[in-house]
Amino acid sequence: MGKEECKTMLDALNKVTACYRHLVSALGSTSDSQNLREELKKTRKKAQELAVANRTKLTALLKDKTISNDDRAEYERLWVLFTSSMEILEVDMKRSLEIGQDFPLKVPTRHFIQTGMTGSTTTVASRAMSVQNMKYEADANIDLTDLRDLEAEIAQVDQMMEDMEMKVQVAPWAVEAKQEAGAELRSTASIGNSSVGVISLCEEETKERGSWTDGEAGLMRVFAGIIFTVVLLIAGILGYLIINL
Amino acid sequence: MSKHSKFQTALCSRPPRRSTITWAFLPLLHQAEVNASARRSTTSSSRHQSGSPPVGAHVHFEKTVKMTIKLIRDHGQHYRPRMACLKKVEALVIEMQDPKSGVKSFEQKRNATSIPHVIAGQDITAWITSHMTVDAQEAQALGTMLVAYGFIYPLQDPKTLILRPDGSLYRCQTPYFWPAQKWKAQDTDYAIYLAKRNIRKKGILDQYEQERYRKLHKWLNHKWDFIVNQAKEQTRAGKARMKSDRVVFSYQERAYWIVHRPPPQTHSAMDYGVDRLIDPNAEEEKNSYYYRRIIIFRQQAIMRSKVKSTVSLGALVKHTMTYQSHDPFLTPCLPSNPWQTDDDTYWALNMPDVDLPTKMTVERWSYGFYELLRDPRGRADFRLFLKKEFSGENLAFWEAAEELKWGAASAISEKAETIFKTFLAPGAPCWINIDGRTMGLTVKGLQHPHRHVLDAAQNHIFMLMKKDTFYRYLKSPVYKDIQKKAISPAPHNFTDAQLEQNARNRKPGLYPSVTWQRQQKEKVRTTTLIDIKKLMANKLDRQ
Repeated sequence: MGKEECKTMLDALNKVTACYRHLVSALGSTSDSQNLREELKKTRKKAQELAVANRTKLTALLKDKTISNDDRAEYERLWVLFTSSMEILEVDMKRSLEIGQDFPLKVPTRHFIQTGMTGSTTTVASRAMSVQNMKYEADANIDLTDLRDLEAEIAQVDQMMEDMEMKVQVAPWAVEAKQEAGAELRSTASIGNSSVGVISLCEEETKERGSWTDGEAGLMRVFAGIIFTVVLLIAGILGYLIINL
Repeated sequence: MSKHSKFQTALCSRPPRRSTITWAFLPLLHQAEVNASARRSTTSSSRHQSGSPPVGAHVHFEKTVKMTIKLIRDHGQHYRPRMACLKKVEALVIEMQDPKSGVKSFEQKRNATSIPHVIAGQDITAWITSHMTVDAQEAQALGTMLVAYGFIYPLQDPKTLILRPDGSLYRCQTPYFWPAQKWKAQDTDYAIYLAKRNIRKKGILDQYEQERYRKLHKWLNHKWDFIVNQAKEQTRAGKARMKSDRVVFSYQERAYWIVHRPPPQTHSAMDYGVDRLIDPNAEEEKNSYYYRRIIIFRQQAIMRSKVKSTVSLGALVKHTMTYQSHDPFLTPCLPSNPWQTDDDTYWALNMPDVDLPTKMTVERWSYGFYELLRDPRGRADFRLFLKKEFSGENLAFWEAAEELKWGAASAISEKAETIFKTFLAPGAPCWINIDGRTMGLTVKGLQHPHRHVLDAAQNHIFMLMKKDTFYRYLKSPVYKDIQKKAISPAPHNFTDAQLEQNARNRKPGLYPSVTWQRQQKEKVRTTTLIDIKKLMANKLDRQ
């Protein structure tokens, strides 16, 4: 159904936004490098693709006048999710442009800030791109070309957001969220079990897992009861035979 | 007044700013407003009561002159003022990173992991002293500024943003979390941070964080799904990094939010007052409107009377020395600053209708005649003195002229009539003694009264009172009596628990309507005094 597809795509966009934020926060620090710039570029491209796909899908769904009120409310909620992601992406892109310009790579003495971060951000980028290993194939002056591309992309994103606001009439303040305060605490168990390969964990999945653990405990109890009665029966039968023999 | 004009010429030297919306964009603005109002009428009634339901759309002009309709009701003020200091501090921080001439960093050992790039407070102050050739006290102040802005964060006591010149440990903040004029710390990001912290601390947040979480949940309810999802995703992305990097990142984020959303009873260095209407970084387009404005300004500047800097600076120094003890920024006000301790004894003691003023107020009356008249309690005291001397007509005329000057335009002719009958007509009950030329001018002007028709007479009376009556008042028993009786409150010394209690028991404060009613009652009382005086004068005449 359209809704499920939308949700998965939005979750993917959410994931990429979160990873992009982590990557941008490492710019200009000691964990900055050529690789980081390339990771930023790739993550940005992926985010753009996802954004365009999401936008076409959601605009198509929202423009449809024949959907019910509940569906419409649901799509508006997804739309608010989408626009919030895009706002965060836009701000992060603009900041990465500024910081990238302030901290160029190809200078004789690099003045990167010693922040205490020493590891690389490969794992974060591979999570964003949903691949196992990242391949780096950029050329030497990536930072200059990348910044030019970045400016163009920021302009594109601005244009896209403008179009979105003009074409789709959604009142963001009228949307009611499904999750209440403290919702993030409920699925902390699932966060602990996640690995790099898992793409998205929806609300429904965690609920199912919770019910499964409860059911399992009940089953165990039933099994124990059955085994106990069987042992009792065997003991009774043996005793009867011994008495009769 | 003459005192103020001396300062004005010294300090006023900047050309006036342009208005935001030049005339060419008005039709577009109108169209945008129409679109936005049409859109508003079609949406369903708001299910979300609290928060910020926008009532008016606002068109936001960006540098590239694209129109983005952001539905915020902020009267157009969404540019932060220029923070030139931040760029300079950035340059200083970058110089600190130099491997040869910068601050030496070492490693911090933490539970079998060691995190590099830690600097000690004394190293920072020593480096600043040598690099910028300043003395130790100034280096300390500079270092505290670095920490307060958030360029360096303390590791051992993260909520106190000062630079301790001992071995306490600090680390540099990553450029993404540096304060910048363009990038204001957003509520959405703060909500995501609080949600992440909630996950990490398993629901046990600080008291103030919990309150803010609840408030944000109320205001940003429509984005709450997004906030929770983002918080979870960012935590998962963080888990993909090295353990030491994760720790450092959590320190960095916490430091950023301590600077931009300070805990209660602390002060954020990023406080800046009011937002600006126009982008202060944008270069103004040099067209004919701009040049015309500049030409007018420069012409007026040439014609202005100039004062020697020695004279004006001397006056400034004298003013500062006299008023130093009365300025709540320089000397702590007694009993305690209500904005800091939430205890409003100070305001209660300085109400206009209080019986016994404080010693500070009474002292202030002796600084100048205008100070005495400006303070309502002082004016009441002066009126009492004049009543004893039977010369209350000067003050009454001055007050009546003030009322005319600042009052409603519709009441001007009526007030002018009464003033003429009471003070200026020959044989009037409270006839004031001004020289013939001023009297002639005033009477002629009163035939066509306007707001400033009594200015000349008012100034004359003011000078008369200042040069003669004021000094007699300062030597009079009335003033000496009130000086003796004035109270000097003891300074409050609140503990933290008492401060919290004060914050909780904050009273909402007086309504302006109540103060206005009191003022009207006071006025009625004083006007009846004049009537009595009239009666007495008539009695004397008959005798």
